[in-house]
Amino acid sequence: MASRDPLLPNAGIIARREYRDRVRGPLYMASTVVLMGLALLVALAPIGIRYFDRGTVTRIAIVSSDGGLAQRAVAVADTVLNGPPSGVDPATWQKPYHLEVTTTAGAEAAFTKGELAGVMAVERLPTGQVDVTLRTYEGPNSPRSQILAVAAFGIGVLDWSSRLPAGTDAPLFVTPAFHVDSINTATDGGRPLDPQETASRGFLGVVFVVLLFMSVIIYGMWVATGVAAEKSSRVMELMISAASPRQMLAGKVVGIGAAGLTQYLAIALPALVVLAFQDRIAEAILGPGWSQGTPIVGLTPMLLAGYGVFFLLGFGLFALIYAAMGSFVSRPDDLQTLSLPLSLVAIVGYLTAIVALSGGGGTWIRVASFVPPFSPFVMLARIMITAVQPWELAVSVGLLVAAVAVVSVVATRMYAAGVLLYGQRPGVRAFVAAARRAG
Amino acid sequence: MDCLGGAILACVSLQIDHVTKRYGATLALDGLTFEVPRGEVFGFLGANGAGKTTTMRICLGIVRADAGEIHWAGTPVADLPRRTWGYLPEERGLYPRMGVLDQLVYFASLYGAAPAVARHEALAWLDRFQIPEYAEKRAEELSKGNQQKVQFIAAILHRPEVLLMDEPFTGLDPINLVILREAFTELRDQGRTLIFSTHQMEAAEALCESVAIIDRGRLVAGGRLRDLKRASGRRWIRIALEGAQPAPDWLGEIAGVERVGRDAVGAELELLAGAEPAAILNVVLARGGSISHFEVIDPSLEALFIELVGRPADGDGAWSANASPTPGPARDAA
Repeated sequence: MASRDPLLPNAGIIARREYRDRVRGPLYMASTVVLMGLALLVALAPIGIRYFDRGTVTRIAIVSSDGGLAQRAVAVADTVLNGPPSGVDPATWQKPYHLEVTTTAGAEAAFTKGELAGVMAVERLPTGQVDVTLRTYEGPNSPRSQILAVAAFGIGVLDWSSRLPAGTDAPLFVTPAFHVDSINTATDGGRPLDPQETASRGFLGVVFVVLLFMSVIIYGMWVATGVAAEKSSRVMELMISAASPRQMLAGKVVGIGAAGLTQYLAIALPALVVLAFQDRIAEAILGPGWSQGTPIVGLTPMLLAGYGVFFLLGFGLFALIYAAMGSFVSRPDDLQTLSLPLSLVAIVGYLTAIVALSGGGGTWIRVASFVPPFSPFVMLARIMITAVQPWELAVSVGLLVAAVAVVSVVATRMYAAGVLLYGQRPGVRAFVAAARRAG
Repeated sequence: MDCLGGAILACVSLQIDHVTKRYGATLALDGLTFEVPRGEVFGFLGANGAGKTTTMRICLGIVRADAGEIHWAGTPVADLPRRTWGYLPEERGLYPRMGVLDQLVYFASLYGAAPAVARHEALAWLDRFQIPEYAEKRAEELSKGNQQKVQFIAAILHRPEVLLMDEPFTGLDPINLVILREAFTELRDQGRTLIFSTHQMEAAEALCESVAIIDRGRLVAGGRLRDLKRASGRRWIRIALEGAQPAPDWLGEIAGVERVGRDAVGAELELLAGAEPAAILNVVLARGGSISHFEVIDPSLEALFIELVGRPADGDGAWSANASPTPGPARDAA
């Protein structure tokens, strides 16, 4: 009978009950509100840091063999970088940049120590063209690089006008050259990544991996506890005659997973909105001139889709195993011991992903990104910080889908056997033996 | 429908055919075979561990048999829709924090019943079971007896053809026992087949037309209850003589009387197998006894069970056949 029962509508009916049972609980509502508040605080933290860090001055050195040219460069860059935003009183405005003329050796030493955000080498070529090279840790597309490109043009104009002779034969104006000597190695498909984008994607990678880990552990345990609670309340005896194990397992995983996803979205969405509009919020709270660019640059639709796929498959894989484990205990209290090995597996995946995000690597990271149940964590980390080949992504997702399919069959058998076991101490041997008997 | 009048095949609906089930080294069912007539209340009797719950679970498809087949109205149970069955398990349980009416509708929906219809019928049954005020309450707020009534409603709300109940009377007070028995009768009159296991032989005797007695996974006896009693060959006569209290000693000397039990108003004579009550009556009249009461009594179901199985249904395995079971006779309803 069980083998012929279609998944729907019973799996849907069970999922709906599980979902309602969870989201209507006072603990669920309280935890959602508390976590939402915490997430908003974390999202607003950069504004707070910016507020307390508002006295910090960024140093940029200007190097030139021509002292006059160096002074002109300082004057232009000062105007461009330190001009007060509209609406701000110039008398109270604190300049965020300190521009200093120094020697090449001194600038290089300070830059290497990290005391300088950049070194701008300004020279006049024999053709009269001003050549500006910005040595920086940022990429050419960063806001500061773009601003200094404008400054380079201004330096060229100022230098050209300062050299105009008294007569009518003015030298031809040559557009200044501007180069960015970017000191970073991060790339995305060959495209150099801006350090802000790199940092942003690294930060988001950590956030995503942590969220996946928490979802697997917390909501996976919800699934296991839900199954165990049905056994301890003996309502399972009524359920097993009304629905097949496959229907019950799918309904539980989907229903509780949906409740988890709801809480997850309730926590994450407001925080993401705050992050996306952080500049405007900073301006509204701290006043004009406090915007420094959104901290979640680099979050593309493809990355979000990748996260969604790995989240759903990863959660599904772990939740199915948690459900099977839940069916083998008579009381929810017994779950802690039985679920420990699975939690350790999730922790290994999580830590490997964190190592990958921090720039660590090697064969193990690469292999783990293909092997379920580690791949949801590790491949997610890889796609956040490096360029992953399409075939690698396809193989990783394909193996994960296959693992979910196999685990769902095995978990259903274990679930069918486990729900009828009462008063037995849960153990791996009983787990496997019962699954074989159920077949 | 008279299943004894040559139309047995038409009436037999549930056929348990040589079903065997083994759990590891334990043989739970050993070629169990019996038949249940359609539209009857059927008693499935056996001591703890006899295999009753396993048989029910195999009927429901929860557990697979190692060998043998089960058919309902000629169709293998594996091919039947789930809603064919209603099941009241021995282990009682409801969702503690869920409203009573909500979970009744929930279970009925899983069996394919329309929620609106299920809600309407659930309210009617709650009213019938004298607990309408609990419809919106959480299950955890109900007493165990009332929870049991809710579970019974959950088992029948989708109008199953066959209702399997594992120890349905356990834990019920006398008033609720009567209500449940009346519900059994009503469902039977609607044409449904009710199969229940019980330790309470009085309840089985009062409700069942047919029974199956199993022990250690094997059928010990099965069929019409009246026929089983008659086939046992054991009968009692209850007799009272005018002006003879206590009953005279010579009653025990009548041929065919094995044992005499006396009380304040008369005596119960246990007859030897084959002894005819009419012959006993003639002997008493010939001795000049003035009879004020004479009644032929078949053995009680409990006595029959003990005779067949060797221990009472609610006893443990240590019960000895040599110990006195003191089974009381039951008046034949026929």
